[in-house]
Amino acid sequence: MMPRVLPRRRWGEGPWPWLAAGSVALSLLALGALLLLLAGRGLGHFWPAPVALVELENGHRLAGEAVKEEPPGEEASGTRGRERLYRTANRDLDAGSWTWVALEAIADVSHPSELVVLERRRWGDFIGRLVAVERDGRALGEGASAWPVLQARLDALQALRDEQARLRRESILPLAARLAAGPDAEASRELALANARRRALQAEADRDRLVLESVDGRRLEQPLAEVVRAWRPNAMSPLEKLAAWGQGVWRFLSEGPRAANTAGGVWPAIFGTVLMVLLMSVLVTPFGVLAAVYLNEVAHQGRLTRLVRIAVRNLAGVPSIVYGVFGLGVFVHGIGGSLDGWFFEEALPSPTFGTGGLLWASLTLALLTLPVVIVATEEGLARIPDHQREGALALGATRLEMLARVVLPMAAPAMLTGVILAVARAAGEVAPLMLVGVAKLAPQVPVDGDFPFLHLDRKFMHLGYHIFDTAFHGGDVQAALPLVYATALLLVLVILVLNLTAIFLRHHLKVRHGALPRV
Amino acid sequence: MSDPSPSLHLRQRLRRGRDRLATALITAGGIGVVAALLAIGVFLVVEVLPLFWPAPADTGADVSWQALWLPQSYEGYDAPQHRWQPTVTSAEERPQYGMTPLVWGTLKAAAWALVIAVPLALGAAIHSALFMSRRLRSRIKPTLELMEALPGVVIGFIAGLVLAPWVERHLAGALAMVVLLPPGVLIAGWGWTRLPAPLRRGLPLGWAGLWLIPWLLVLVTAALALAPWLEAGWFGGDLRGWLETRLGLEYASRNAVIVGLAMGFAVMPSIYALAEDALSGVPASLAEGAQALGATRWQTLWQVMLPAASPGVFSAVMIGAGRAVGETMIVLMASGNAALMTLSPFDGMRSMAASIAIELPEAALGGTHYRLLLLAALALFVFTFLVNTLAEVVRVRLRRRYRRLGGAP
Repeated sequence: MMPRVLPRRRWGEGPWPWLAAGSVALSLLALGALLLLLAGRGLGHFWPAPVALVELENGHRLAGEAVKEEPPGEEASGTRGRERLYRTANRDLDAGSWTWVALEAIADVSHPSELVVLERRRWGDFIGRLVAVERDGRALGEGASAWPVLQARLDALQALRDEQARLRRESILPLAARLAAGPDAEASRELALANARRRALQAEADRDRLVLESVDGRRLEQPLAEVVRAWRPNAMSPLEKLAAWGQGVWRFLSEGPRAANTAGGVWPAIFGTVLMVLLMSVLVTPFGVLAAVYLNEVAHQGRLTRLVRIAVRNLAGVPSIVYGVFGLGVFVHGIGGSLDGWFFEEALPSPTFGTGGLLWASLTLALLTLPVVIVATEEGLARIPDHQREGALALGATRLEMLARVVLPMAAPAMLTGVILAVARAAGEVAPLMLVGVAKLAPQVPVDGDFPFLHLDRKFMHLGYHIFDTAFHGGDVQAALPLVYATALLLVLVILVLNLTAIFLRHHLKVRHGALPRV
Repeated sequence: MSDPSPSLHLRQRLRRGRDRLATALITAGGIGVVAALLAIGVFLVVEVLPLFWPAPADTGADVSWQALWLPQSYEGYDAPQHRWQPTVTSAEERPQYGMTPLVWGTLKAAAWALVIAVPLALGAAIHSALFMSRRLRSRIKPTLELMEALPGVVIGFIAGLVLAPWVERHLAGALAMVVLLPPGVLIAGWGWTRLPAPLRRGLPLGWAGLWLIPWLLVLVTAALALAPWLEAGWFGGDLRGWLETRLGLEYASRNAVIVGLAMGFAVMPSIYALAEDALSGVPASLAEGAQALGATRWQTLWQVMLPAASPGVFSAVMIGAGRAVGETMIVLMASGNAALMTLSPFDGMRSMAASIAIELPEAALGGTHYRLLLLAALALFVFTFLVNTLAEVVRVRLRRRYRRLGGAP
């Protein structure tokens, strides 16, 4: 036999295996591209971008961060040149905060180090020059000396803010709660004092003003109290930028959203997601394990049990939105409506439990993930050799003792895998939550210091819904986009970590028990 | 028989009692949980039934069975129409409850998703079952499992806000990519046979899934670079205009192809995992026999393994279809949600699941609109349940067949 003579050997196996290999490569490429895109855009947003000073051919000047370059859109077709999008901010001076500039029209681009970016509570960011810092109309610093003064004043302002927050948390809120409970002369006097102190702090903060100038020469007076932070990206060293990046990431994770979810952080959404998922796992674990133990250990292994098992398996494939519909119809309107009628009559017609809320969302997701836990636990139980059970029984154990001391401990990693997979699935589900209790912006976190501390009837924020809502119902999508990327990255990371843990556990399980059918 | 001490006797009875109690509790709990799960179907049926029985319920809206599925004549239109417009702004208007556009949208989205996902998933399954090196395979499978776990809302966001505008701007580039990628991969394969043997050993077919990725990147760049010429040469410089004038296809930014790409990406891992299981489960004796007779691996696959594994592959595709039909967030975010009934791949659509997600929170409890949305949910439930059951039965049969063919398990 001389294989070299066979003509088809020239092509190896022929063209088809290459197409098959190509589809593996294409899938991996798509997955990698998606993750890279999320990571790049999500993390890149927090890196202080250089601010360019652009001079146009017609003499106009503008300052902004270059965002992207594109060929012109439909309406401006005619020129073939490319256009660049600058984030020029300054929504109070100009009508918008975005400017498209044709590359041909640019005469000069420079990055002067004195350009400042201010993050403000109103009107979004400011980009331009700092002229002076004033206190009661008197200049504290002007020109070159203004920047260090601004830094010092911002630190002082932060101290004032902390003081205000402490006052509010420690004096005003408890006093207000005491007053709400009943008339209390001493409390109302203390409250008046605390409020006066707060007003004094506010007045102290309001004394500072900034004089700003946009690059095309328009002046602007800015109360310092509305400035959150200030930085000069062109003057920062890479190390400073890294520090600013870290701070940005931390603020994203730890702060609440501002400006209709287009700025600030996602802390309430993280909190809501985690709390909902925790509640869900508390609900799903015992019931899932119970059902699996019943199906595998107690029930008569006949045709009916086999059918039920297949049915449960298939429920894992039923679309999540159907569970959402069930949750809305049964939990919210059915059970919740009845609860309202029995216990919260005084609050009607405004519903307490008869509307979407944390409890119903957790219950719905628990139902949704129940098949996952059942299937995983059953797999673990089926893997335990029968002689373990028989050995326990032969030594005189009852079935309960056999289950509790021998079978369940051996199946524990499988259960854990099931719960982790359930959590990973629940953390990513959004569609059912839209029906049973997620909110665009929840004013109150579901956990606080008021009895009963955990408010199961409250609506909550969720990372996945935050992505959907900010990306599709926000006003300024372009401004919100970086935050959406960051949120999506966060969600994906959480889910990947959970899944990796489950995969690791399953691997560990296989190694320990070994006696597995070939996978 | 010696008399055990009374305390021992008591403990025995206590243990028995506890055991009996626990068994009863487990039984009750297990049956309860399973019943709660199965109650979903019952609930939907009970809620939907008042639509049709005893009599069409409230309001002036005609919701007889025929009215839901057949075209109806509406004011302002000459011919009878399929229309889904359940919310009305003024009292004179009549809500329009034609379910056909929703079903159409659902099936269209699912069909495009399968068009993208099935070739990719089957190709990948074949490659990893037959050709891929064992080490790479043990890495690739969990990777694709992770891909399956990516939340729909993230994929939908990327599809709706990144992919859709990008494809709209680089229509010719995207087309060039589709045209260029398959032959490009074939060229890579042909080039590989021409490589000197040491280099070829460095780039074995078993690792092609990895080392083809840079080549794919080259192809993508080439496609984007060639796109302007392609557009100028064949489509008069403007592919969108060409589509509109020549084929009469309006290009909507969020359309069926975008949905198909995104949902295909989401569904592909599940199809892959099941198809790969089916293929690699084929008893080795069959493939070895064929190869001993001189068949190449590809011939073995085509003549021996695929016929043996075809039920498993079929059930994989069915499960993928079930997932595609029920997927909500991706369609919601990437389809534009207009209840259109067109064949054009460049139009948007509105699926049943997306309709439920958007409209149910606003629909009046117990009204016609509410019950119709529940009917849609019931349809989704029944469809996915049947499809999954079918797939499961087929898989069980297949496993039995493998055991018979392979002798020992």
